[in-house]
Amino acid sequence: MRRVALVGAGMTPFGEHFDLGIKDLLPMAVTEAVGSVDKGFERADIDAAWFGELTTTDGFPSGILVDSCGLLDVPVTRVENACATGNDALRNAVYGVASGMLDVALVVGADKVRESSARSTFWEWMGLTRDMAWDYPIGVVAPANFALHVNRYLHESGATREHQAMVAVKNHHHGVSNPKAQLRFEITVDDVLDAPMVVEPFGVYDCTPQSDGAAALLVVGEEVVDRYTDRPVWVRGVGLGLDRVMHQHKTDMTTFPPTVKAARQAYAMAGVGPADIDVAEVHDCFTGVELIDYEDLGFCDRFAGGALVESGATAVGGRLPVNPSGGLKSKGHPPGATGIAQCVELFEQLRGESTNQVDGARVALAHNIGGPTAVAAVTILGFDKD
Amino acid sequence: MRVRAVGTYLPPWGTRDGRVAGSDEDALTLAVECGRAALADRDADVQHVVLVTRDLPLLEGGNSAALLAGLGLPPTTAAAEQVGGAPAALDAVLTAAPGTLVIGADCPGAAGAGAAAALIADGEGVTLTPVARVQRSLPVRARARDGRVHDYDDQRLARERGMRAALDEAGIARKAVAAVGLAGRDAAALCEGDPPRVVTTGASAPLFALAALAEARAAGLLLAFEQATMTAADVVGGTTAVRRHEPDPSAPPTSRATTGPEIRISLAAYDRAFDEKLRLEAGRCPHCATFALPPRHRCLGCGSEGDAVLTELPRDATVYTTTTVHTPVPGLATPYTIVIVELGGTGVRLLAQVTDATPGGVSIGERGAMVLRRVAERSGIPDYGYSFSPGRSSNEQVAP
Repeated sequence: MRRVALVGAGMTPFGEHFDLGIKDLLPMAVTEAVGSVDKGFERADIDAAWFGELTTTDGFPSGILVDSCGLLDVPVTRVENACATGNDALRNAVYGVASGMLDVALVVGADKVRESSARSTFWEWMGLTRDMAWDYPIGVVAPANFALHVNRYLHESGATREHQAMVAVKNHHHGVSNPKAQLRFEITVDDVLDAPMVVEPFGVYDCTPQSDGAAALLVVGEEVVDRYTDRPVWVRGVGLGLDRVMHQHKTDMTTFPPTVKAARQAYAMAGVGPADIDVAEVHDCFTGVELIDYEDLGFCDRFAGGALVESGATAVGGRLPVNPSGGLKSKGHPPGATGIAQCVELFEQLRGESTNQVDGARVALAHNIGGPTAVAAVTILGFDKD
Repeated sequence: MRVRAVGTYLPPWGTRDGRVAGSDEDALTLAVECGRAALADRDADVQHVVLVTRDLPLLEGGNSAALLAGLGLPPTTAAAEQVGGAPAALDAVLTAAPGTLVIGADCPGAAGAGAAAALIADGEGVTLTPVARVQRSLPVRARARDGRVHDYDDQRLARERGMRAALDEAGIARKAVAAVGLAGRDAAALCEGDPPRVVTTGASAPLFALAALAEARAAGLLLAFEQATMTAADVVGGTTAVRRHEPDPSAPPTSRATTGPEIRISLAAYDRAFDEKLRLEAGRCPHCATFALPPRHRCLGCGSEGDAVLTELPRDATVYTTTTVHTPVPGLATPYTIVIVELGGTGVRLLAQVTDATPGGVSIGERGAMVLRRVAERSGIPDYGYSFSPGRSSNEQVAP
């Protein structure tokens, strides 16, 4: 199979962009990605694009991408796969380029979460993820969707709210140095524990903010890489996993099987294992979810997630830094953009250019879990082609 | 005609002087609670159900199917939805044929919520015989077409031209053993001895009185009033089973309402799920015995398709996981607690709200029972389903 590389990456700052619409954010991200290409990049080179957007904003997504970014001759496919949308859009572009049908693909992810009122967002998302008759009336808003998992996880694993708080403290600390992050301030474990409760066991500081933003990647085949850069980042593996949709059908809620499946595919394709990962960007929409991610991705043994964060291993400077960008927790979470932005961070990490650089990073992993915890995507990037 | 069994239900909220319905209760869920109590432990052959209430949830139709499903009776059972108060409920008992379940349900917006049901059958039990019926109009309380309640607010007029005028017209001078539908002091003045304490005043009140008279094996005159209308009956003692679910009352939890976009309802989805949701039935695979709730076309176990048979599930439940939502949610009162429970020994899990309890108090491993509640109201339509009542046994009697 033909090898595929990233040669450009860019993103807007994440935040509450009340003053910027989706038609502003998209060209900003695409232009930054184009500008990041070492030897220059012509938009006319783009053979096809994939656009990840969870909720439609201001109308027909594919058309808005080409219209706002000067790409009227580029075919676009819109991808929607809950919070795994971004990494899944990349996965589809990788398949297109790897097949040899395309040489150059653009991958864009964006969402305008703050286009709705703060209180109605979770409610609108429920309509995307829930059974109308059996789930919708019960009131399983997005944080509750994950809280049902995490409460059972805390019950069985012995991890505590303090362990969750350590995730928040770490990711906020990481986000301080990231100019694109939404919440750039330090917090303490006590701040997290004393914060107002949102959905038990998540207080305000256990939750991702609601964010707007866009991110873009340029994906090319190995024969044309040299035209664009001498320092490509190779897409080593991609994976997508699914699960039963209704919580009542999930046998063991202390784990996310979609993550396990997606990781298995991506590790196998990349020919690496968890021990080879130098830096990771994982889905921490709620702090306890990052603890479960450690286990599902194979970074530690089952029910050892709390001990892992407590050891400091997942902070920058530790054995396996996780979410050096600040993660969803600090950087923000516009769902369609989130996975793409993870890869923007890892692109910079593998080229030694991150504002929160992990020394000597050569293999990196990006991960999302979403919807009714029934879909996950994993992408493995490498400094080396093999 | 005899009263074989009486079942009663009072919500756990309010005071000893009057209960208030939970935010997920209405006249129909109250009726189901007391009706199931009346039918428990009996192989009753119920041919006819009469629901008497002034608080029907679906005035344009649809109550009876929900009532029969909640009671576990076949949808072919004759059912009547009757608007009325205490005299109407007593009349319904007096005129009932054997095999009738008469339910009185009261769900006012304020205190006075409760429901009671009487199973009429041949054989053992208390007997009632009609003494007098007076029907006069003195609407000291009226509900306008827009639903607003207008009170005339003249207690002396109500007493003189309502209660006393009705008794005079009926020529009743003797003391009663129980009088309902009146203020407590007025009721006591009409009775001799120690009349039963009834904390509702509408359609359920004469049935609560019957439960007490049956327990005390008391005999005598039972008076049921509503405004200037009265029905009187003589009660003669007998062996009637009385099953009460009347937990001690506590103050209702405080909650916050949030406005926002309304939750849409899909009546197609409502219709597809109706029987399974209100009868608590799972699909059971005839090939591998795997249950599925909700029932599904393709078996979760062996993948066979279209063969599942609906099977009633046990109602005793154990909490697998839980969470409490504090953040404001449009259209729902917060905080609220949700659970995933395991039902009996079936391995079937159900996502449900917690009812009858202050939000936040449920823990993993806790046991309870599934009870019919109005889980949500969407587009003006009550959406019934099962909620988890912690600590409750699926076959329990709780008397004060």
